[in-house]
Amino acid sequence: MALNFMDVFYRAYLGEPPNDALSKSMANSVVTQAIQGGIAPYQEYLLQGSIVDTSRDVLLHRLQGLCDNAEGMPQKFQDHEMVFMMRGNTPQQIISFRVRHSLHQRQNWVLRYTGQTEIGDKNRQTLVRTCCDVATSDNVVQFLNEMGFRLDNEFIAKGFFFHKGRMRVTVSKIYKILQHDNLDNLEQLTMSHLVELSVVAPVGQEQIGEDMKAFAEQLKPLVQLDKIDHRRLQTF
Amino acid sequence: MAVAGVNVSVEAVLENQIQEVSLDGQEIYVPPLSMSENLTKQAHKIDFYRDETEEKGKPASEGEQDSGEKTLTPFQPSLWPWDSVRNKLKAAFTEVSVLLDVLNIVKEKHYMVLDQVSQGSQDSMESRAESRPGVHMLSKKRSLLSAANILMAGSERLRRSQSQAESTIKSQSDFHIELLKLRQNWRLRKVGSAILGDLSYKSAGSRFLQSGTFEVVKCSGENSIEQEGSAPRMLEVVIPSELEGVAYIQVEVKPVPDAMDLTSAILKMPAGLGQVPTDAYWQQKLEVAQNVLFCKELFAQLAREAVHAKTSSPHLVVGNQIITNVFPGIQLSIVLCHSTGKDKKGGSGPHKLEHNHVLEHSLHQLLREVHYKAINHPPPHPVIGTLGVSKRRRMAGPSGMSRSELQQMMESESLLEQIIKQTRHEVLRLRTMKVLDRLSARLSDPLVACHWSCLNSSLQSVVKVMISSYGYEYRMMSQSFILMIGVGSIKAITKEGRTFCLSFEGQDLEDLVMWQLSQHHTIVAQTLGKMMGWHLLSHSGNCGVGDMETVGTASSIMLAPPGHNRVLSVKSGPSRGMKVCVKSLQKEGLPSLSAVTDPKWKVVGGDFQDIDLDKIDGRNVAAKLELLMATLSKAEPH
Repeated sequence: MALNFMDVFYRAYLGEPPNDALSKSMANSVVTQAIQGGIAPYQEYLLQGSIVDTSRDVLLHRLQGLCDNAEGMPQKFQDHEMVFMMRGNTPQQIISFRVRHSLHQRQNWVLRYTGQTEIGDKNRQTLVRTCCDVATSDNVVQFLNEMGFRLDNEFIAKGFFFHKGRMRVTVSKIYKILQHDNLDNLEQLTMSHLVELSVVAPVGQEQIGEDMKAFAEQLKPLVQLDKIDHRRLQTF
Repeated sequence: MAVAGVNVSVEAVLENQIQEVSLDGQEIYVPPLSMSENLTKQAHKIDFYRDETEEKGKPASEGEQDSGEKTLTPFQPSLWPWDSVRNKLKAAFTEVSVLLDVLNIVKEKHYMVLDQVSQGSQDSMESRAESRPGVHMLSKKRSLLSAANILMAGSERLRRSQSQAESTIKSQSDFHIELLKLRQNWRLRKVGSAILGDLSYKSAGSRFLQSGTFEVVKCSGENSIEQEGSAPRMLEVVIPSELEGVAYIQVEVKPVPDAMDLTSAILKMPAGLGQVPTDAYWQQKLEVAQNVLFCKELFAQLAREAVHAKTSSPHLVVGNQIITNVFPGIQLSIVLCHSTGKDKKGGSGPHKLEHNHVLEHSLHQLLREVHYKAINHPPPHPVIGTLGVSKRRRMAGPSGMSRSELQQMMESESLLEQIIKQTRHEVLRLRTMKVLDRLSARLSDPLVACHWSCLNSSLQSVVKVMISSYGYEYRMMSQSFILMIGVGSIKAITKEGRTFCLSFEGQDLEDLVMWQLSQHHTIVAQTLGKMMGWHLLSHSGNCGVGDMETVGTASSIMLAPPGHNRVLSVKSGPSRGMKVCVKSLQKEGLPSLSAVTDPKWKVVGGDFQDIDLDKIDGRNVAAKLELLMATLSKAEPH
């Protein structure tokens, strides 16, 4: 597992000397950047694809063979995601936050801000977007509402989680919530699963894209992981 | 004939057949035949058979057959115009081919010899045959010989070509089959023209820097290694020199020697132990090399932890040995033994193998656990959460954990600390076992029995110690207590629920057992009294009077028989032993006073008399007490 930011941050917070020189330099740079910029310079590298339900198990077997947590059953997850938006005076000024909480461990809530997705040119292997994850308590929804954010949409993602090094692979199905209060009353949106390959890393690690592309190649006949331009999808 | 010189032209009349005469008298002729049509027509007229039969003098029967065939042809009008010609030409070709064959046979004399028929009489023929048997034999012999030579040469050539093909195919396929087998178990990759493999534990979560790259080499026909009783192998692995040989981690727990000899570690290199034969199978070679790498990683990790550890008693890292104190006087030494197999054999004699298998196994297990944790993270919930963070840590932010709480969470035990803990527990368990065994062997009156729990962890085990009297196991509850053996101390829980914390010294435990044994006697007396209807006057677990015990306290009990005419007193101490006294009550002990309302107060007082238990029959204290009490409850006071 690569040294992640939170770890470095905690160490810096605790005033503890990090284990090795690498993390020390990294901690310094990350923390100083965070202090200067006001926000942690963090980027998510993302590849997306989909697979039909009938072929899902084949993909799961393949992933089990490729990924690190190979032993035992694939790890399941079930998350509820809510997208909150606040509109400014012009239509361009939209701020959105995603709140996600696990239905398996109900006390775990995460507030995520994602920036504008950069498609980039052909040389760039993945989608890149700035991203900031914050673990929060369960009253984050109330907090956002009071700040003036309004719920835009919500869905439930059920699926499986894998990781290979710091690459995170999820195979999940998106469900529509029919009744707002009842999270068990669901309707599936499509007959396929969403496959996502993502890495959250500090800015300037372009090498990750290559690694992710190489990993995506291994899944090639089953699922085509690619840069999906969301803006173009919305125009359809 | 008058006019001469008149030219008369003679020519064929243009007599084409009239096809049709039109009504106006015009004649329409059939168009004249073209050259090819004419040729066809002419060719049809040829009778090939007649010519053949005439020229070659074939038997008439054949000709008849042919004519029969010939008559058949008109019945096949659908055939193309040249068909009959072709058939005839074909038949002619066959005849010519047969003729050629016959001529060849005759001419080459390989298969058949045409000889002139001798004109002589039969007698002369016989005589000639008889006169030339040698010639016959000679010719036959020669022809047989030549035939045999041809056959032999052919078979030889076949055999040679076959063996050649076999060897090339076999060597090729053997290498590839071996490579296939190798690939099933090991990671291989191709770099340029070489095939490199990786035997390190990196893919299993190890972060050890030393690489475990080996090379796969194909053995060619000449240098393929021949082994007795097995086929030559075509595949060989080249292991880096630092991973050659055999290695293992040796753990020893021993009393601290008076003069610490640090060189002992260096001298402890094993000799002739687990040598890998140079011609071992690649699987074995790779496994041994992988073990070497694993041991090196384990030792490197332990040595690093030992150097960085901040403890009161520093750990000693000397060469390939780590020495640390677990208890005063007991040290743990972890040695990395690595023999490259190139050292001189012999010299150190038979190697003493008093090492601790359990702890060695634990060490291996601990490192594997580290590896496992390096690649197996708990899944984040929700799935976008930070990877590789425990559930508690994820909640640290939202629940507002303090700095000290976070610091506690960051603390993790190093391998060395864990193994030291395990060693301490093991030493303590062995000590406890020894003390209990010694006591139960030495003591026969109250019996000491130990029940070890079969389920224990590497840091805790439990033993139940039962104290009972022989013959009275079922009639009276036996004294028992539980010892929970931890890392540095033992916790004892007695039957009445009191807990004692004992140190790692064996003497503490022995004292506790002895004290419990002394308590057992008073409890026996009490139980016996209850069974016989005696009255309990007093019972004290920690008797404050009388001689001081060196260790612990004595317990005492006073009982009265049903008639209340006597008092039996039993005092039992761990070091002073047991003392039994009886007091007979005098009926007329006190003058009658008006203040004494109850007659029982008249019978107080009197002296205690010692009873020598040795003189009472019975095989143990319980039996003696029973006899004594039975006697006392019957007898009238004198």
